[in-house]
Amino acid sequence: MSNIILARNLSLTYDNEEKIISDATFSVRKGEFVFITGPSGSGKSTLLKSFYGNLKPVEGKLIMGGLDMLTITKPKLQELRTHLGIVFQDYRLINEWTVERNVVLPLWIAGYSKEVQATQAKRLLHHVKLSGKEHKYPLELSGGEQQRVGVARALAKNPFLILADEPTGNLDEYSSNVIWDLLENACQQLDTTVVVVTHRIPTIFNIPYKHLQIDSKGKVHEVH
Amino acid sequence: MRFIKQHISIIFPLVAILLGLEFFIVFDRATKNYEESLRDGYAMLVVAKDEMSIDDFKAWDSHVYRVAEIEKESIVSRVDTTLNKDKVTTIHERMPNFYSIKLDSYLDDEGLEGVKQNFLKSDKVARVETFDTVHRSNYGLFSFIKFSFQTFIIFMSMLGFFLIIKQMEVWNYLHADRMKVMNIFGASLFLRSKVLINLAFIDAIISAMLASAIFYIIQNSWVRGSNIAILKDNIDKLFSAYDIFSLIMASIAIAMVAVFLVVINVKEE
Ligand SMILES: Nc1ncnc2c1ncn2[C@@H]1O[C@H](COP(=O)(O)OP(=O)(O)OP(=O)(O)O)[C@@H](O)[C@H]1O
Ligand SMILES: [Mg+2]
Repeated sequence: MSNIILARNLSLTYDNEEKIISDATFSVRKGEFVFITGPSGSGKSTLLKSFYGNLKPVEGKLIMGGLDMLTITKPKLQELRTHLGIVFQDYRLINEWTVERNVVLPLWIAGYSKEVQATQAKRLLHHVKLSGKEHKYPLELSGGEQQRVGVARALAKNPFLILADEPTGNLDEYSSNVIWDLLENACQQLDTTVVVVTHRIPTIFNIPYKHLQIDSKGKVHEVH
Repeated sequence: MRFIKQHISIIFPLVAILLGLEFFIVFDRATKNYEESLRDGYAMLVVAKDEMSIDDFKAWDSHVYRVAEIEKESIVSRVDTTLNKDKVTTIHERMPNFYSIKLDSYLDDEGLEGVKQNFLKSDKVARVETFDTVHRSNYGLFSFIKFSFQTFIIFMSMLGFFLIIKQMEVWNYLHADRMKVMNIFGASLFLRSKVLINLAFIDAIISAMLASAIFYIIQNSWVRGSNIAILKDNIDKLFSAYDIFSLIMASIAIAMVAVFLVVINVKEE
């Protein structure tokens, strides 16, 4: 069970007409760092959605942490999701909540006490270089800052798998570097599996990684 | 300001529905009472050749509730007090029997006619007097008031429900994003709806209190000062402490159903 993600002949579609991902076979091992690249519209976000159970396979198999995503029950999926750390392309913070509350959302869901939430929020915001912004609201932050909140939220509960969709999409170098450092650290120090969708693999990257490329026909190739 | 607006937009329709509901309960209670008093004050007169018992009448028509024989003495003595004993006895023997009949409910004209015809089927019954003109005028006014009130209540409640559906759309718009994010992070249905439940719960209580207060004011100023006998006579039966409880329960139930419908309609994407 050292495979965290196992896809065999996996196909994905939204409306059963056109396959966005077709016949993909690949695996991601525990503690691995994976980059997924591909042209815009090739299905990178779609593939990530299937990883967190928002899209069911139409063909083939997808096994996440030993659970078959086609037949997974609602409670099991809910349980699985509490162990994932997801970063969205469009941040998806809760705008009516403070930064602090956003960051500890996974801890709140897991039922941790207010004190634990507060200390963790402090620690996480320090890591993403946002100390002092605890009580701000997401819309009062810049895009880069919002995405760093998103990354902090994904890391909050030490997930076994981080799924990040363009975490550095339109961010400046400073925010990008903060995020890459955090993801590298999570992988290296906590043995967290990290899957990152990006249109550009950072030039300076300090740890070994696997590179999956999706072509415009929805085929997934393992580059290395 | 946005905060107040958000609350008002659910409190207002809830209050409308609750007022409708309370009007309905109260009016039902008041009309029942009024119907009882109309019923008690009404009797039909039956002239029969033979002596009858209540069971005879009941066998003819099930609406019969009480039967009183009108003493012949009182009728004769009212006509003439100077008659001697023998004559009175002969008159008594030749006279038919008079009965005053009370019914178990307040009937409309058709109902009264039905009872009359049932009695007349028996050849023992000579005449039936329903006094239907007096009866009709009482009943006509009464049904008119009842009908207008019910129309008003139904209209108000429908408006309330319409506004609640509107509010559910607003809730969906305001809360769907948060619930979707929570869902992706594995929050249970209860956690996802908690914010909305809290909001709706508080608003439901506020609405029930407002509706009760409005009713209290109506009862204690408007009805007392008004000339509507049917309400005035029943003023103590209009609103009771128990009603506050009913209103709170109804209010919470409506709000929670609305919340539930919003929450389960948030689609995963
Ligand atoms: N909810 C949806 N319903 C139907 N089709 C969708 C939906 N989301 C995406 N698609 C389609 O699926 C295809 C792949 O979309 P996806 O978002 O996975 O691309 P992507 O590789 O993430 O692109 P980008 O780099 O621009 O983010 C696109 O053609 C898109 O139009
Ligand atoms: Mg995408």
